[in-house]
Amino acid sequence: MRTFSINHRLLGIALLACGLTAASGTICPAGAQPDPEEILRRIDSNIMISSARMTARMSVQYSNGETRTMEFISWSQGTDRSFLEFTSPPRDAGSRFLRIDSNRMWIFLPRVGKSVRIQGHMLRQGLMGSDFSFGDATENPSMVDDYSAIMEREEILNDRSTFVLYLEAKRDDLAYPSRRIWVDSQHWLPLKEERYAKSGKLLKTMILGDVRRVGDRWYPFRLELNNALQADTSTTLQIIEMELDIPIPAEVFTLRNLEGGDE
Amino acid sequence: MFNPVAKMPLFRLAARNARRNTRRSLLTAIAILVAVMSVTFTFGYVGGAINDMMDIYARTQSGHVRITHKEYPDRERFLPLHLNVPHVSELLPIIRTHPAVEGVVARIRTAVLIDFQNENSPGLLIGADFERELGYFDILDMVVEGRAPQPGSAEILIGAILAEQLEVAVGDTLILLGQTAYRSMGGIRAEVTGMARSGLDPVDRNVLFMPLDQVQLMTDLHDGTTEILVFAEDPEQAGLLANSLKAELDGLVIGGLEIQTWKDQGALVQMMESSGSIFGVVIFILMLMAGLIIINTMLMTVLERTQEFGMLSAMGMRRGNIVALILNEGLVIGIVGALLGGIIGSGLSLWLEQHGFNISAAMEGMDFPMKNIIYSDWKLIHPIIGFFVGIATAVGATLIPARRIVRLKPAEALRGK
Repeated sequence: MRTFSINHRLLGIALLACGLTAASGTICPAGAQPDPEEILRRIDSNIMISSARMTARMSVQYSNGETRTMEFISWSQGTDRSFLEFTSPPRDAGSRFLRIDSNRMWIFLPRVGKSVRIQGHMLRQGLMGSDFSFGDATENPSMVDDYSAIMEREEILNDRSTFVLYLEAKRDDLAYPSRRIWVDSQHWLPLKEERYAKSGKLLKTMILGDVRRVGDRWYPFRLELNNALQADTSTTLQIIEMELDIPIPAEVFTLRNLEGGDE
Repeated sequence: MFNPVAKMPLFRLAARNARRNTRRSLLTAIAILVAVMSVTFTFGYVGGAINDMMDIYARTQSGHVRITHKEYPDRERFLPLHLNVPHVSELLPIIRTHPAVEGVVARIRTAVLIDFQNENSPGLLIGADFERELGYFDILDMVVEGRAPQPGSAEILIGAILAEQLEVAVGDTLILLGQTAYRSMGGIRAEVTGMARSGLDPVDRNVLFMPLDQVQLMTDLHDGTTEILVFAEDPEQAGLLANSLKAELDGLVIGGLEIQTWKDQGALVQMMESSGSIFGVVIFILMLMAGLIIINTMLMTVLERTQEFGMLSAMGMRRGNIVALILNEGLVIGIVGALLGGIIGSGLSLWLEQHGFNISAAMEGMDFPMKNIIYSDWKLIHPIIGFFVGIATAVGATLIPARRIVRLKPAEALRGK
């Protein structure tokens, strides 16, 4: 398992190379072309977490105006390990998901009473009917390790100055072979992301917002996802509470825990 | 004026002429025979296949009238459970008491993920009231091993080919995961109590059957269903029944219902309904081929017998009579060929009505409501149509070479030109 922490020394060297400090919010002086890989590294330093526990609310909005809201608690560690449990509404409470790595994921539904391993195309199915796939909801990929970036342009998005990067996967087993991200030039967080299929078809569009300072990083507390293949819905994920870099017992990421063995 | 053929029976003369060159007449007769036989057989066989498909389509998918949520048909390919028909226990008695209704069944169709021995496979789960399905989707008659699931028990009847693919045996436990009516995730753990073989490849390969109450439990469709199929006393009156049900059920369900006849539900029935034009094309092609052979052979006859026709003309026989003689020759040969073709085609059709034709190899993997064995549906009208179309073709095709006689000058004809 890989764990991640911000490499402050590396970051400092990179910033010094550009002649500016991190507080200024820019990588390079005006007119200079920022290094796309460095941008990815800085995104990772905000988004990559060694461990986290969060409580979140997921709302699925339907085209007929209806909204379905669910709440869950999740624990995650490194890039792959995560455990997620729905706490409301009552009919979904107790539904749990465990991911150990990109190939091993299980679901536990109280009414079934047994864990079920899901694989293949099922990982691309919507989590509890939302626009987030099981993979989206549980993976925590490293931008710099998994993607190579090309700087496309600078753009103002919602009054924020952004760099638009086109990313191509370095590995074949990633859910999205290419992405386009709009990176806030001050907080080094993507504010918008488009995820594409191998064919180049747009699969998902994500808008990130409610950016808050958590310790020494910026983190988006709201994610809005539109799945192009699920035209009548859009999903908003609002983080209610989050603890970062906390110790999580190894037993959390076990089938025994998934099936409620510790209860 | 003397007319040597005025009282001569043209038909008898034509019959005698037809025997003069037996081989050529036989070739012409065989062309008609094959065409009429094909028409008779095609009517019976394709008609049987189409009737079978329409019957299966109605019983397994459409009913004669289908009641769904207003928006369900547009999104049917996703099998959306949130677009359902609620309050089924109130609606069914109302529909059953309608005088034009023969039977009513409620079904839930939903896509599931089958988990068995840590392997995932897709499947189609059908929740149904097995007793009420008798005569429609005859689920109880499909059981080839084990027994049918009992209402109130989490039990599964699995398609035989699907069971074979998953290596599932009676007594095994499957976990099914799918969506719920609230678009969330639902599931059930159930025991396989039997295997089903319907003879329909898409069913045997993909479908799992469970009691309706169990699927309602799994999908949170309490007292709800995805579709109600209504079978009419007279399927031809399905349109009237649909309108009557629309009036009767109007306003009972929030969000509205979509009530469609089987002919409104998809391209398949409409395509099958238009099979008459397909028959027309088939008959036309067969008769065209036969006609070309007849034109060819009769043209040879006319060329060979030019002197003979010149002689008859010189002796005072009118051209019209000579043409009538040739047409009668075509008629004689046509009658013989068409009669035999009708008899042989009927024989084939009747044999297939009893024994059927196994097309399972061709149907493998095809998502089509068609049984693996197709039985012909012979009707007396089939050889009758074939017979008259065959004779018309024979006579019609003879007209072309006969036209040559009209232009014939006796002196030239006598010289064989």
